Amino acid sequence: MLKSKTFVKKTRSGGVMKIVREHYLRDDIWCGSEVCTECKQESTALQRDPCMESNLCSYPHYVIPDTNVVLHQIDVLEDQVIRNVIILQTVLAEVRHRSAPIYKRLKDIVHEKEKHFYTFTNEHHRETFIEREPGESANDRNDRAIRVAAKWYSEHLKKFESDTDPLKVVLLTNDQGNKQKAEESGLLVYKCEEYIKSLIGNPELVDRLALSNDDKNDITSSKVLFPEHLPLSRIQAGLKNGTFLQGTFRASRDNYLEATVFVQGEGEESTEVLIQGLQNLNRSVYQDVVAVQLLPRDQWVAPSSVVLQDEGAAKDDNEEEGEEEKELRVSAAEAARKPTGRVVGIIKRNWRPFCGMLNASIIKESTRHLFTPADRRIPRIRIETRQADALAGQRIMVAIDGWPKHSRYPNGHFVRTLGSAGDKETEQQVLLLEHDVPHQAFSQAVLSFLPTMPWEITPEVMVNREDLRSLTVCSVDPPGCTDIDDALHCRALDNGNLEVGVHIADVSHFIRPGNAMDKEAANRGTTVYLCGKRIDMVPELLSSNLCSLRSNVERLAFSCIWEINHKAEILKTRFTKSVIKSKASLTYAEAQMRIDDTTQTDDITKNLRGLNKLAKILKKHRISKGALTLSSLEVRFHIDSETHDPIDLQTKELMETNSMVEEFMLLANISVAQKIFDEFPDCAMLRKHPAPPPSNYDILLKAAKSKAVEIHTDSAKALADSLDVARVDGFPYFNTLLRILATRCMMQAVYFCSGMDSDFHHYGLASPIYTHFTSPIRRYADIIVHRLLAVAIAADKTYPDLMDKQKQSALSNNLNYRHKMSQYAQRASVAFHTQLFFKSRGILNEEGFVLFVRKNAIIVLIPKFGLEGTVFFDSKNKTAPKVVFDEEGPSLTVEQHTFHIFDRVMVTISLDASNIQHQKIRMSLIEPVIPGVSVSAPEVQPLAKKPRLDR
Amino acid sequence: MPFSANATPEFEGRGGEELGTELSNTLYKVFNNKHSVDLKSLCISAGEHCWVLYVDVLLLQCDGNLYDAISVAIKAALFNTKIPRVHISADEEGGKEIELSDDPYDCVRLNVENVPCIVTLCKVGHRHVVDATLQEKACSVASLIISVTHKGTITCTRKVGGGSLDPESIFEMTEAGKRVGKALHAPLMKLLQEEESLGKARQKVGFLG
Repeated sequence: MLKSKTFVKKTRSGGVMKIVREHYLRDDIWCGSEVCTECKQESTALQRDPCMESNLCSYPHYVIPDTNVVLHQIDVLEDQVIRNVIILQTVLAEVRHRSAPIYKRLKDIVHEKEKHFYTFTNEHHRETFIEREPGESANDRNDRAIRVAAKWYSEHLKKFESDTDPLKVVLLTNDQGNKQKAEESGLLVYKCEEYIKSLIGNPELVDRLALSNDDKNDITSSKVLFPEHLPLSRIQAGLKNGTFLQGTFRASRDNYLEATVFVQGEGEESTEVLIQGLQNLNRSVYQDVVAVQLLPRDQWVAPSSVVLQDEGAAKDDNEEEGEEEKELRVSAAEAARKPTGRVVGIIKRNWRPFCGMLNASIIKESTRHLFTPADRRIPRIRIETRQADALAGQRIMVAIDGWPKHSRYPNGHFVRTLGSAGDKETEQQVLLLEHDVPHQAFSQAVLSFLPTMPWEITPEVMVNREDLRSLTVCSVDPPGCTDIDDALHCRALDNGNLEVGVHIADVSHFIRPGNAMDKEAANRGTTVYLCGKRIDMVPELLSSNLCSLRSNVERLAFSCIWEINHKAEILKTRFTKSVIKSKASLTYAEAQMRIDDTTQTDDITKNLRGLNKLAKILKKHRISKGALTLSSLEVRFHIDSETHDPIDLQTKELMETNSMVEEFMLLANISVAQKIFDEFPDCAMLRKHPAPPPSNYDILLKAAKSKAVEIHTDSAKALADSLDVARVDGFPYFNTLLRILATRCMMQAVYFCSGMDSDFHHYGLASPIYTHFTSPIRRYADIIVHRLLAVAIAADKTYPDLMDKQKQSALSNNLNYRHKMSQYAQRASVAFHTQLFFKSRGILNEEGFVLFVRKNAIIVLIPKFGLEGTVFFDSKNKTAPKVVFDEEGPSLTVEQHTFHIFDRVMVTISLDASNIQHQKIRMSLIEPVIPGVSVSAPEVQPLAKKPRLDR
Repeated sequence: MPFSANATPEFEGRGGEELGTELSNTLYKVFNNKHSVDLKSLCISAGEHCWVLYVDVLLLQCDGNLYDAISVAIKAALFNTKIPRVHISADEEGGKEIELSDDPYDCVRLNVENVPCIVTLCKVGHRHVVDATLQEKACSVASLIISVTHKGTITCTRKVGGGSLDPESIFEMTEAGKRVGKALHAPLMKLLQEEESLGKARQKVGFLG
């Protein structure tokens, strides 16, 4: 039977388009129930006796939720208790239209076998399809379609006699009108809350209920705290005529009353608008897309350097916020003022479930509690729960439901618990979730694209592939590395020159474009290394076996081979797919020992010596061109093999061999970048590192000046040179500190598509062009580069997406995001392990240096641990000392003592576990001694002897 | 105006282009004037926005009397046309925003009363033929195309074909055309109204049956 669906819509250019779709109805759509004998279905999703016990419906029943129930209560639907649910096509389509993430979650539930969810394609069913009536709105039609389908189900199921009560269907809707109409037509219908509350023996489900509109009102006082958000139409009009700006809201990590809105302008012209104060922030949450209105120029303010955290008991909604806000409004120098604005409306919320912990309310019986997210940029959320006692000390996830204008905090609901706080597994989970790192196990679909084992090299694989198995190739990596993606060789040629080869694992041979494994890898973007855990980008079989260039096994590789003379000048470059057989997998230390040990004269060692010699020349060249050597402290933990607790930590040591490998990897990356750009000027994936704007260097220049050292920042070369000569007598660590500061001034290096940008320069490496080619096992960008290069040398086929610069550009954005997030996750993991370390070590007294000076605090770096911490000077309980901040220095005078950047201080370090959520390293000052501020050096506790294990 | 190669093999490739241009020029002359369609009813906001009607004709089969058939089809199509109602909302700054109603039943219909139909008269020997088949057309050296409204008003005439027509026969043919045209309108309108009154019960025709 044929029906047609007709609708009109406005196109982007302002025209009107009429769309007519043919819509065919069928009579072979089955109900999906086990009891049904009429439908000729092959498999059934809905069980014979659905076991949801409810006081409201004591008979066996199936549940049909309407669209709003799915949209708002997806957390409840995800619970294992809720089974045997019929999802109508109408609902599915509406959900898809309204919220993509919820749609995805719903699809996931439907696919889960144990949940017994069934999608009924009512829109194509002959008896449940309805046409829109004149005068009926689209929503009303959908509601009617849902009712008709529910009706059909109840009639349909009535026909089958079961041994017990006949099956019934229950419609869940929160819409009063819909409910009434459904009752009129004789359906069983309940409000979602009613139904969930009636379920026997599942009190925690009630907590997961999102608050619906009418419940919210009674929570808060009627006092309006925030200005109303403007409707979208007004915002759009305002954006058009320029009175409002659209941007992404970024809350400040240090100060909950301050935020910036990043406004993407035309081309490079992006601006940041400062927002200060609760009223002006107007219920925006980190990452929301908001509309801001600039304040008149005389109300502009400067970003405060105060560190403020929203702490303590829940503030009453009507309590004046005055005091803390006043602190912000310190008159600032005219020059420091930034464009300041206020949020007038929300264009798009970007809420996700947040990890954090519950601050139980002081009143015991209270069911309303505040939830403190782990991410400081997210405001605290008010949730309703009856299990506060059980949740105390647990890491939980909470989703925001809404933020009414008369509520100081957003309202949310409990989603699930992750485990007890401080537990290593839980904390790891939290930081993966908080940094949006996809960390689930690989799905079956992904694994199905793995090669079958045992894998061996077949003649087909050898087509277009050079046999380099006879070469003396070896790899040099950090100890314990199982994903070896690069190997090197070097040999003398007959003409006296040297042949150097860099061999990179041929991952693109195994990961074919467009399949599930490729998509998964593209989404993950990068392998994330946490302390003691690695979250792979590609399944382990590839990362640690087939693609890992281990010694003495034949592996596929992508080789970049140069002919180089003894002055390290490249005479010839060629690229080829190859097969290699590595002769040795060395660690940096082992390689270094071989080079240094003059008694060894085997092939591998000679190889290494040749490479090392060339690398030194290459490095000299690079530095003379202005490449920067920057510094950041990286720490390594010695992990106890049994408890996996960190037992010691040390900063990473760099050996000559590290830089040897690095030098050739850089060379390969540059050669490949040039090649793919020559071949595909429009769609090469490259990596650039923009030069930082001069203002970024302010802090570095001021800091250096305070030590009478001059730093030139006109070019990378000038900076590198002046950093090299920057030394202060009797302060050997000064240079490193300066480099650490310089690193903080840098911009982030990013991937981009060559067709979309014109500036390719890599500032840090002083190279006009650069890309990533050498780590395809752990970076997706390298896989794309491999594919491009393979096409360029006619070793592989191309595919449309590879040549589409829009798609490439979108991909690079994702890779940049994942890369950034993985770095944050890594840092967070190190921070957590540092805390574990200090927990076991107790209190320590250490030497440190002042890295930054803030208005009310100094940030101290402890070189021994690579640890940074903040020493506050206005702790809340003590009488505040007299603190004077000088922005020009920058320096901070506390009582009589003045702190400058680079000052040496002694601090005592301990773990502050008073707030389990944010366990932090507390640092207090020992030296210089300032009465009332510094503390006397506590006794360092001797390390508790480890009890011997009796075996 | 696209031609399907189904109609005649000549239309394959760019074969139909010339005929297409000729047809669309003629049709343009016949229909695009304020007497045929009430253009005022297409106004959205005076001086700024109006609806533009496009008529696409797809020729699936060509068995003679092309113009007449097309004109009947166009009239039927215009009768059937539903123009969605629009609301103009003005904001404070004076910017106007056009909003579409999301109800597909909320639409405007066109008045097609004055839309003419075309009658083609083919001169064969001393006589002329209406509704000529392909063979009949082949016998004729010249034909006259007349567009007639339901009142019998002639809105356009055009001579096609290589032969000549003497003034007397032109007069004769015009009179005949007028008569035929007038007779054509009444049953056409009746048919269209009948179909319209079926409403949703109207059997839809689609590609799958």
